[in-house]
Amino acid sequence: MANKNKSKFSGLQYKFLAIILLILAGGLVALPKYEKNEGIKPVQLLANVINPARYISTDEIAHKIISQDRSFILIDVRDEESYNKYTLPNAVHIPLKKILDEEFSMYVNQNQYDVIFFSNDNFYSDQAWVLCNRLGYKNQRVLKGGINMWFKTIINPPKPSENMPEEAFNLYSTRKASSMYFGVVYPEQVKAPEPVKKVAPKQIITVKKVKKAPEGGC
Amino acid sequence: MGPLIPNDLIPLEWNNIIAILIGIAFGFVLEASGFSSSRKLAGVFYGYDFAVLKVFFTAAIVSVIGLYYMDYLGYLDITQLYVHPTYLWAAIIGGAIMGVGFVAGGFCPGTSLCAVAIGKLDAWVYVLGILVGIFIFSELFDFIEPIFDGYNFGNITLIDTFEWDPYWFIFIFAIVAIIAFAVADFVQKKVKKVFY
Repeated sequence: MANKNKSKFSGLQYKFLAIILLILAGGLVALPKYEKNEGIKPVQLLANVINPARYISTDEIAHKIISQDRSFILIDVRDEESYNKYTLPNAVHIPLKKILDEEFSMYVNQNQYDVIFFSNDNFYSDQAWVLCNRLGYKNQRVLKGGINMWFKTIINPPKPSENMPEEAFNLYSTRKASSMYFGVVYPEQVKAPEPVKKVAPKQIITVKKVKKAPEGGC
Repeated sequence: MGPLIPNDLIPLEWNNIIAILIGIAFGFVLEASGFSSSRKLAGVFYGYDFAVLKVFFTAAIVSVIGLYYMDYLGYLDITQLYVHPTYLWAAIIGGAIMGVGFVAGGFCPGTSLCAVAIGKLDAWVYVLGILVGIFIFSELFDFIEPIFDGYNFGNITLIDTFEWDPYWFIFIFAIVAIIAFAVADFVQKKVKKVFY
């Protein structure tokens, strides 16, 4: 008798569990669907966007290039024509339209190097930065002022007037020295037998492709 | 957020340790469900015991429902989970051989090790057979390789291939499971009891 009761009870128990299973499975169907955001949350993105820490100055970049720092990749997001005309030494050309293409993801989505975007101003490079930042890519920077600022400060630095503080003169001489490194020749230099025209050595950037897919099996 | 290891929330080095812990738990549950008995396992083919069907079907459904709830709530990215690639003919032929072995020997590879652990002699013989089979397979590998590596359809799932809605698929799958359990119980009552 007790046994029969027990079996009856266990039968009920299984029915109860079956109903819970069905409710849970049906719950998945009934849940309101929403579009999932890829990458970081909007709030986080907004906080990143208003944070000026992503900018790197032309002086810093010039210093890095001259000291042959290999910890960064320069990415030129302008079009083909501008890239062919002039670009920073060792810059990789990835037009803004193609920034998220699979073939370039090894440059923009990696943890090995800092990625520094630049364009003529920082307008397009900021856009590239936002696109990549939203997807949660790491170590993204933007060259403040872009190529224009590069010309204004490094290639053709403004000569300080006499009433300016000493720092301005120091900065000028540093920038002038940098510009010589990048191949600018100054009139007082011309007398010298041979203007030293030094081109930054071409460095080959190899990026290890990060393996993403988890492996497993039965 | 998840899966935890590919997203670096748990260091990669923990992979094997976690695998061992889960493996121990899996073995314990197999043994606790009575899966170290070849008679119980073979029962599903003769209709006197459907524990195998019930346990594995339930496990699949519970986990898939749980995974999709976690995906919905953002704790897990279901697209990042590993999907085993489909080698069509290798799977069909291998499945047929495994099925024959299952009926004849009364174990699947996992449960045979479980039974070895509790000291069943038939399981020892079975595992020895697995090793002999592996040896023959390795020796014949050059001959078998075109099937082994061929017909690769990639990491496909039913949901991707037929573009089904996963939520409806799970719901219907759950209903099918419960019907299967009811039918299994019905068959079990009709079939002559076997003492084991």
